[in-house]
Amino acid sequence: MDFTRISTANLLSQHERRLVAVLFMLTAGGLILLRVFDPATSGVFPPCPLRYLTGFYCPGCGSLRAMHALLHGDLYRAWAMNPLMIMTLPFVTYGLASFALLQLRGKGLPQIMLPANCIRGLCVVILLYCVARNLPYHPFNLLAPGALLHP
Amino acid sequence: MFCPQCGANNADTAVACVQCGRNLQPGAPAPFPIQGVVQPLAAPIQNYLVFAILATVFCCLPAGIPAIIYAAQVNGKAQVGDLAGAKAASDNAKMWCWISFGVGLGGILLYVLLITLGVLSGLHSN
Repeated sequence: MDFTRISTANLLSQHERRLVAVLFMLTAGGLILLRVFDPATSGVFPPCPLRYLTGFYCPGCGSLRAMHALLHGDLYRAWAMNPLMIMTLPFVTYGLASFALLQLRGKGLPQIMLPANCIRGLCVVILLYCVARNLPYHPFNLLAPGALLHP
Repeated sequence: MFCPQCGANNADTAVACVQCGRNLQPGAPAPFPIQGVVQPLAAPIQNYLVFAILATVFCCLPAGIPAIIYAAQVNGKAQVGDLAGAKAASDNAKMWCWISFGVGLGGILLYVLLITLGVLSGLHSN
């Protein structure tokens, strides 16, 4: 077993690491902005390009408003803006923290190895979610950002 | 089956641990660290799943999908012991994450540019 090859397989190059570090810092800065400004009314944040160009919701639409609501402790409003994002947020946060630790100290947080089909299933769920929230029929239209707030 | 070395949960059919690479076949000798030689830390092969999902949802859906598919391949191949294949899939997953991120960033920059041009031309006509 070639341990050295496996051990270096995961670490990013110096160049990529710097980029990722910048991205992490931008994310932190973005969170502070999100706490202060409401994306729904302030115009500080750009709208979703897909929504802007085509009028369709993407799977991420409503995430900024959801994060804003979450940073103000309004879980229901956050859920109404993007339920899929709120559901995946704990896992994504854990994964990002693990990745950051792996790059910093060479060891991430404990992880479960998801079976390949689970991941493919997740991919299908995201695509279905994208289609469903654009359908004009009840109850699918409740998945559109903010729809739950105006029944 | 749990790896006796690092405790990671592996498929029962796994040949090698997905997290630390330890040989999981019955009867395989436990790897003892050689005296005086520091064994390099063996970390799991990254599948970049978190980034693939973030890229799909926030950056560019069409480029994020291959990233997720390759992330799935990393796990599938690592679980049957194909570490070289898993590594190749890992590189592909990483590449598609960057592509998706680049396209998304490009879209936002384009939007900002258009808005700026719009504002400038508005000022001009006034």
